[in-house]
Amino acid sequence: MTGTTIAIRIAESIPAVPAVPMADVVEATSHWWAGFILWCPLISLVLCGLCAAFRVKSKLPAWITVLSLACSFTFTVILGNLEDVPERINLFEWIAVFWSDGSFVANFALYIDSLTILWMSFVTGLGTLIALYASEYMEPDLGKGYARFFAGVSVFLFAMGCLVMGDNLLMLYLGWEGVGFASYWLIGYYYRRPEAVAAAKKAFIVNRIGDLGLALAIYLIWATFGTIQYNELMTLLDEGTYATVYEHWSVEAIPYLLMLAAFGKSAQLPLYIWLPDAMEGPTPVSALIHAATMVTAGIYLIARMYPFFLLEPTSLHVVAWVGGLTALLAATIGMAQYDIKRIFAYSTVSQLGFMFLGLGVLTTYGASYHVFTHAFFKAVLFLTAGAVMHGFAGQLDLRKLSGLRRMKGWRIVAWTMFVGCICLAGFPFTSGYFSKDAILAEAFVTQGPGFEILGWIAIFTAFLTAYYTFRVWCRVCAGPVHFEPGDELHDDDHHDDGHDEGHGFHPHAPRFAINFVLVVIAAGALLASVPYFMTNEVSDIKGGWIADMVNDSTAASGIPGHAEHPGTIAHDHSGDHGHHHGSILGMDPHVAMYYISGVVGGVGLFLAFWLHLWRRQDADRLRSWLLARAWIRWLPVAMENKWYVDEVYHALVRAPLWLLGHIFHGFDRYIIDGLLVDGTARLPRLVAKWFQPLQNGMLQSYAITMAGGAALIALLMILMMQFFEGGGVQ
Amino acid sequence: MTLQLAVTFSQLSLSHYLVMSSVLFVIGLVGFLTRRNLIVMFLCTELMFQAAAIAFVAFGRYWYDFTGQVFVIFILTVAAAEAALALALVVLLYRRRSTLNADEWMELSE
Amino acid sequence: MDGLYPYIACLSGAFALYLLLRPGPLVVKLLGTVIGFCTLAWLMVICSQTVPGSFEPGRDILFLVFGAIAISAAVRMITHPRPVYSALYFVMVVMSSAGLFLLLEAEFMAFALIIVYAGAILITYMFVLMLAQQASEAENVEEAPLYDRLAREPASAVVVGLILAGTLISAMTTGLSHLPEPMDQNGMNQVHGDLLESLPRQLNEAVIRSDPDAVWPPLEANQKSVQWDEDGAYVVSGTDVIRIAPESMPTNTQHVGWSLVHSFPASLELAGVILLLAMFGAVVLARRQVEYGEDELRVEVGLEPMHPSEDGDGDQA
Repeated sequence: MTGTTIAIRIAESIPAVPAVPMADVVEATSHWWAGFILWCPLISLVLCGLCAAFRVKSKLPAWITVLSLACSFTFTVILGNLEDVPERINLFEWIAVFWSDGSFVANFALYIDSLTILWMSFVTGLGTLIALYASEYMEPDLGKGYARFFAGVSVFLFAMGCLVMGDNLLMLYLGWEGVGFASYWLIGYYYRRPEAVAAAKKAFIVNRIGDLGLALAIYLIWATFGTIQYNELMTLLDEGTYATVYEHWSVEAIPYLLMLAAFGKSAQLPLYIWLPDAMEGPTPVSALIHAATMVTAGIYLIARMYPFFLLEPTSLHVVAWVGGLTALLAATIGMAQYDIKRIFAYSTVSQLGFMFLGLGVLTTYGASYHVFTHAFFKAVLFLTAGAVMHGFAGQLDLRKLSGLRRMKGWRIVAWTMFVGCICLAGFPFTSGYFSKDAILAEAFVTQGPGFEILGWIAIFTAFLTAYYTFRVWCRVCAGPVHFEPGDELHDDDHHDDGHDEGHGFHPHAPRFAINFVLVVIAAGALLASVPYFMTNEVSDIKGGWIADMVNDSTAASGIPGHAEHPGTIAHDHSGDHGHHHGSILGMDPHVAMYYISGVVGGVGLFLAFWLHLWRRQDADRLRSWLLARAWIRWLPVAMENKWYVDEVYHALVRAPLWLLGHIFHGFDRYIIDGLLVDGTARLPRLVAKWFQPLQNGMLQSYAITMAGGAALIALLMILMMQFFEGGGVQ
Repeated sequence: MTLQLAVTFSQLSLSHYLVMSSVLFVIGLVGFLTRRNLIVMFLCTELMFQAAAIAFVAFGRYWYDFTGQVFVIFILTVAAAEAALALALVVLLYRRRSTLNADEWMELSE
Repeated sequence: MDGLYPYIACLSGAFALYLLLRPGPLVVKLLGTVIGFCTLAWLMVICSQTVPGSFEPGRDILFLVFGAIAISAAVRMITHPRPVYSALYFVMVVMSSAGLFLLLEAEFMAFALIIVYAGAILITYMFVLMLAQQASEAENVEEAPLYDRLAREPASAVVVGLILAGTLISAMTTGLSHLPEPMDQNGMNQVHGDLLESLPRQLNEAVIRSDPDAVWPPLEANQKSVQWDEDGAYVVSGTDVIRIAPESMPTNTQHVGWSLVHSFPASLELAGVILLLAMFGAVVLARRQVEYGEDELRVEVGLEPMHPSEDGDGDQA
């Protein structure tokens, strides 16, 4: 690295560490066994498929899946502890085409750096635990869809592995489409329910839009740089050869296309509408795919491709603003919903918005750390919601459930949900507190268009988050014991000891597998704050182990000379403290954020306790007061109706498409079928009708036709001869 | 008959003969198309042969090339053969229907 | 032959032909005849106007006479209600075209035409007509069969004929002006001389007749013996030039014969074969066919008849 190299530093007080020289990527042939991180879910898929084919009635598919995912997790952990240097593990040659002045190489190879390890560790770890949870949760489907469910989970894990560990963009694309397919598979798991089918289709179609962006981006990257392999791309960008292509329009287009892909997969503002509907799937799926892992693929993509975004700084501003606005919008919707899973879904959208905000304000560390912590606490929240749903026959309306923590057998659920909520709310010294602050503070540090306003929006969103999170907990887990069952009464209802509320309904409390998984993940959510204080190699880095890991990956790679380029985001940390340009209330943002965030979280929490635990009638009174005033009436109505986004999309996209479809249908029916196909068929008959009189058997009629035809042909020939002689000779 | 070698055959004369030949040919064609009697129809084809023969001989005279006349001999041959076969067929047809009307034979449409 | 005049002439000729073809009163037919003749005269004038040339009274008047006879006979042939008369009018066409051949110095063909066409082919037609047509005793036209009296769709036939005539006229308009000059006297003398060269005995006789004292054959054997110039053919013998008399030149028949035998021997043979086959064909087709019954066929190939006659003398044993 030359002296002009200015690395992008991640968090506060990280010394100017040069970017990882990507040319140093090690070809690790001895780590061939790392491929089993991918192969294990694949084997599990095959075995689950066999189970489905032979109609296995036992829990065999679940154990197969849990075992194989545990193997994947083990391999990931071993791999993570082996090397610190990025390495390439070639599994087999997939696509390798060479010609005179170019090539297209996309081998089935793994690219292992610390970012990969970070992602894979929580993907496989949570995957294992959630599969274990699902082994009990999916019990009612034993022998019916049980094996199908676990096959879907295996497919998802395989595809996610490809996405995260792939050595090139094509493999990432394979995984990208694979997780989309697995998501479709699992959202539509209850395929007899029309809502589930519609939600699956919606998710798939909305994701298409993003996938188009990814495909175009990959093509443009290849067309501009001639390769789609990470190490070669990063080397090119590192060496400054990008300068030759810097002015090329595609360099500016690539980040926007990648952004489109990320927004589709990670449910950001224009394309977030699929995620709340995706909750139609089984709850473990919501926890695994639509909260913890798959939806963070967009974050991963941008983090992985970060150097491209640094080439086009405006794109990062867009990312930040889209993320911030999505966070606010989703939080406001989440406040006014009554379905627990939907609240958590909007909370997921909102938290993903925080992560994009982090990416946009140049803290890949903050974004990655938030992904990591969010994976745990959101998983635990969904799993507790699932346990409630499982036990109360599909009841998810928070107005109809109360006092769970006082019910026998539900204490673990109630308190693990409390842990999840407190992390999500960002209560001081929980994992969410640290990871969110890393993002919020950076919004004030980094200079960009309106980033300070964005920072305040984010703080307000954090307040809303704390409020709606504890609204759920206070309503469902605290207060007097009261419940109404849902409409999904199983025939094989267990008659566990439960409180008989006079409805003749016995809620069945979760048993060992669910409780075990809940406790483990809740512990993980709490312990996720530990890496913040844990350092790996550079002892004085605050932000700890996670910061180290991100710093070692492509997400941290700076661009030589990029700071000299006009229009680039000035991100000028110097090595020592106290020289930030940004500040909040005259204080260092990172320090100030600890206080602000803590206070905001506390206020939100207090509000939730007040309105939903101590004085529940106040909440209803507030709502009716709001609804009675014409000038403010729109606010709760719009929030409860999700700001009418679905309706607007319906009017702007679906209705024109419907009209277009009918026009095309008419065109097909009357022009293509009527005129072209049937017309072609009718033409011979019509012509025959004209010429039929000629075929009358009269010798001389034939003679007339023949002689006239011959005369006409001769006339034509003579005229043509005249024409050509006249034109040619003279 | 002495050979009058001094007479040249010009374009003027050629066009006269060709117009004559064309008129005869067209009359033969119209006759073929209008007459219903099979035998007269064949006569009309013979008329068309005549017209062609006149054109051949006129061109042959124009070039002073006797191939034109040789070709007329072949036309005669074909005309004779055609007459023989056609008349034999007419006799055959007449035996079937006892008429020479060409419109009686409409089986061609089937 | 430029412009629209030839086409207008075609149009009026076609109109005349239509008047003659359609059934109508005599006045209309007369009108058609008049228009037709006027059209023919006009056509001839158009032909003569466009290309300058000499007018030779003897030859051209004969041409007009023969042409008029040929065309009017042809028209009458296709309009006459009685087929026998049609055939006779065709004989007239053949005769007048033979006259045209004479004007074209094709004496052999002229007489061959009369002999073969008028004498042989047309007689065959007449025989068939006699065979088929119940000759009505009376000369009354009304008694001819209807299909002979009524022309079939004259309008469309005339239109087709008009198209054809227009085509031929435009072909002539286009082509005639591109034709090379006709053979001149020198070239004709060459043709005669070349043929005379191929006929040694006639040449010998011709030379002896012209100059009984000539030394013949000439000494230079490799030299071409017959020379020609504008005035005719001559033979060079030593220093002497012997002009060959016009009456000793090869005749038209000799020319045609030489061309036929020397240039187209295979075609000549083929023509013979065609005639032979036509004769066989005519015999086979026109012969009265006898239908064999099944039993006769069986007997023919040497089998027992399937239905032996009950009262026949054939014993079953």
